Amino acid sequence: MNRRIFLMSVAGATAGCLHGGRRLNVYNWDNYVASSTIPEFEKEFHCRVRYATYGSAEEMLAKVMAGNSGWDVVFPSNSFIQPMRDLELLAPLDHARLPDLKNLEQRFQSPQWDPKLEWSVPYMHSATGILYAKSVACPPLRWADLWKDCYSRRLTMLDDPAEVFGACLKRMGDSINSGDPGQLKAARDLALRQKPLLRAYLNEEVRDQVVAGDVLVAQMWAQVGQVAIDASDKLAFSFPAEGFALYADNVAILRESKHKDLAIEFVSYLLRPKVAAAICLEMRTATTNAAGRALLPESQRKNTVLYPPPEILSRGEWFRALPGSVQRLRDRYWTEIKSA
Amino acid sequence: MRRFLLAWACAGYLFLYLPLFVLALFSFNSSKIAVWHGFTWQWYMDVFHDSALLEGTVNSLIIAVTATIIATVIGTLAGYALWKRPVAWLTNSLYLSLLTPEIVMGVSLLAFYQWIFRFLHVQLGMHTVILAHISFSLAYVVIVILARLRTFDTALEEAALDLGANEWQVFWHVTVPMLLPGIVAAALLCFTVSFDDYVITSLVAGVDSETLPMMIYAMARKGVSPSVNALSAMITVGLGTLILLAGRLDDRGRSTP
Amino acid sequence: MNFPSPRGSSLLISPLAKKPREISARTLFLLPGAAVMIVLFLIPLLIVCAYSLLSRGPYGGVMGPWTLESYRRVLDSLYADILWRSVWLASVSTAICLVLGFPLALFIARAGSRKTMLLNLVMLPFWTSFLIRTYAWMFLLRDTGLVDSALQSLHLIREPLPLLFNTGAVILGLVYGYLPFMILPLYASLEKLDPVLLDAAGDLGATPWTALWRVVVPLTREGMYAGSLLVFIPCLGAYLTPDLMGGGKTVMVGTLVQNQFTAARDWPFGAAISLLLMALVLIVMRVLARRTEALL
Repeated sequence: MNRRIFLMSVAGATAGCLHGGRRLNVYNWDNYVASSTIPEFEKEFHCRVRYATYGSAEEMLAKVMAGNSGWDVVFPSNSFIQPMRDLELLAPLDHARLPDLKNLEQRFQSPQWDPKLEWSVPYMHSATGILYAKSVACPPLRWADLWKDCYSRRLTMLDDPAEVFGACLKRMGDSINSGDPGQLKAARDLALRQKPLLRAYLNEEVRDQVVAGDVLVAQMWAQVGQVAIDASDKLAFSFPAEGFALYADNVAILRESKHKDLAIEFVSYLLRPKVAAAICLEMRTATTNAAGRALLPESQRKNTVLYPPPEILSRGEWFRALPGSVQRLRDRYWTEIKSA
Repeated sequence: MRRFLLAWACAGYLFLYLPLFVLALFSFNSSKIAVWHGFTWQWYMDVFHDSALLEGTVNSLIIAVTATIIATVIGTLAGYALWKRPVAWLTNSLYLSLLTPEIVMGVSLLAFYQWIFRFLHVQLGMHTVILAHISFSLAYVVIVILARLRTFDTALEEAALDLGANEWQVFWHVTVPMLLPGIVAAALLCFTVSFDDYVITSLVAGVDSETLPMMIYAMARKGVSPSVNALSAMITVGLGTLILLAGRLDDRGRSTP
Repeated sequence: MNFPSPRGSSLLISPLAKKPREISARTLFLLPGAAVMIVLFLIPLLIVCAYSLLSRGPYGGVMGPWTLESYRRVLDSLYADILWRSVWLASVSTAICLVLGFPLALFIARAGSRKTMLLNLVMLPFWTSFLIRTYAWMFLLRDTGLVDSALQSLHLIREPLPLLFNTGAVILGLVYGYLPFMILPLYASLEKLDPVLLDAAGDLGATPWTALWRVVVPLTREGMYAGSLLVFIPCLGAYLTPDLMGGGKTVMVGTLVQNQFTAARDWPFGAAISLLLMALVLIVMRVLARRTEALL
């Protein structure tokens, strides 16, 4: 069906029921909107928004893969954009309806996973680093420090194969997206050597334990690290010298969506500086929206954990989608590491 | 012996409720991090103002109650029939459904639904979740009912048949009353399994059928979350009061001749 | 599994005229259960079988060509180790559940009019999310948690005990998570027990303990078997408990399968592992059932 006719008929149909008749189904990561974001959108556009959250991109992908999940707007991570494109799950974005695209930071105007921003709009970004207690004898400023036995086993790594391999590969000076079997084998051996020094493989659950002092050093995402630092001034965050992983979550509209008109309004709404700033203020996330960032108080705007300066950012590397054979090799090594 | 049982039971209940005490304690914590900071009612207020959370709770209750009723009825009938004369493939299927990892069950049902939806113009929703719950809880019901049935003396049934009752009357007036504690136990198990299910539900739920576990998992992913604790404390206290009241009424009902 | 038919089957006693009605009533009883199993379980299971014979899609899901590759990959000592460890952990947890749950179930069964209330109170904690109760345990057991702090302030220990992120913690988590699945079938079985039998044993000179061991336990075999089944099998498929309580340092079969369908995005492999596991356990159960006839 001609897309224009479709869009116009949708617009016509939705225009016909102004109050509470329009619906938008948004599927997002948790903690990514402020308490005012959705209600204000509903008020301004006279519609109801069904807002639900997911905990992992694979979960979201499993549900939308069949093509009739019922969701309109999703938030894939950067390494998922290409796969979703290949599976033809995304709808192209009409830039004419996104005037605030210019608000995006320079480095997100043309990201490597979607150079023309045809399919997605970067939303929030973060990185992986090391959260640690300032009182430790050897502050972990490099990945290599995590192999030293000076944390009396109060060290944790993320329970995520991509992140653990990322740390090992970076320590050896390789790319986090490496598919080279030799490099991956060496990374596996490194991880096996590190395992006895670890207390556990934990994700965000470990945040409370770092704050309480149970765990001294944890491989952690910058966003979560900042929340922990807010809770306890005895903590600090470092971006390892050898390099680290960057990631960004993006807004995208699903091709199956029956409310594309409203969906693009939502994307445009999220790009507004005030909206982006409100989300960051409440959720302590890092926005890709430069105009929004400018509205934040100085303490948050200049926060080096959430917005690392360019010289630190230059050491970062984006995750990429990996081919099936590499994925399989990594998974096999991950199982070996975990069951050792 | 009686004192030993009492002491053991007290220890057992303490063990079961210990995490709940912790949760309740931290639902009053004024900090979001699990380190005690100060006392507050804020999280309880938040729960009441969160309409999505309340909707999720209602959804969970509807699904659990519906699935429990249907699964208990079907399961009791099936269990009784299987006890009379075994049907190998059905018993094996029931055991298999217990053996199936939750994610496999969820993915398979999702694939099945998606395939069916090509012919019927339906989408994922409450009905798909309820059907899924019936599917995985049936085995629990049948196993509990069978366990009880096998301690039965069939003499009563035979006596009733001899006195001229037909099969249905025998089942309804003789077997079921004797089976009742087993049915209650099976229904409780079914409700529990259904109310707290996350993996299968999250895969087959539609846009409008978010359940409480799905919301809790989202909120609690980052660690102990105070509003979730507040909600759990409220559910526990609410249901607990209902249970105690029902127990009192039952007691009084029995004591009056 | 063979079910011995009840003694004095009604087929012998009731007149022939009743036969047709018997069969139809039984079929009627079976029909809904059979329908649910076929439509909502067996057919989806066939789909999973098909998945296990296909190749992985690049980003999850499946696609052609058909292949036995996934099954070939499962036959590896790495996965055998994981299976063995899971079976061991599940067995230990089941045994502990049995020992812990039996007296509790007995207490409830003999509680007279308070039975249902006490039973409900056992289930009540399990109507709150398992995830947050697990987090509560993590909070209790960690180094700065309540247990260690209490023991330290009582000067019973100097250094905090490692109560979390090890096998013991996983077993604790499994026992805690599945205890009611043991208690309910045991209760269903024990409730039926006639107290007259215990009195008779007492009159014949048995101590309460002997009566328990030699009268009660044999009569509740069905309940114990059902309870063990309902605990052992889900323990095999557990993934949340080893990940959180065990600190992600041990891989159980449940975590392996979970991982294949999520992070690893290798559905055919996950399907193959699950199917092999299910077939294996089913076969073992049938062998056991045939050997120990009394249990089934």
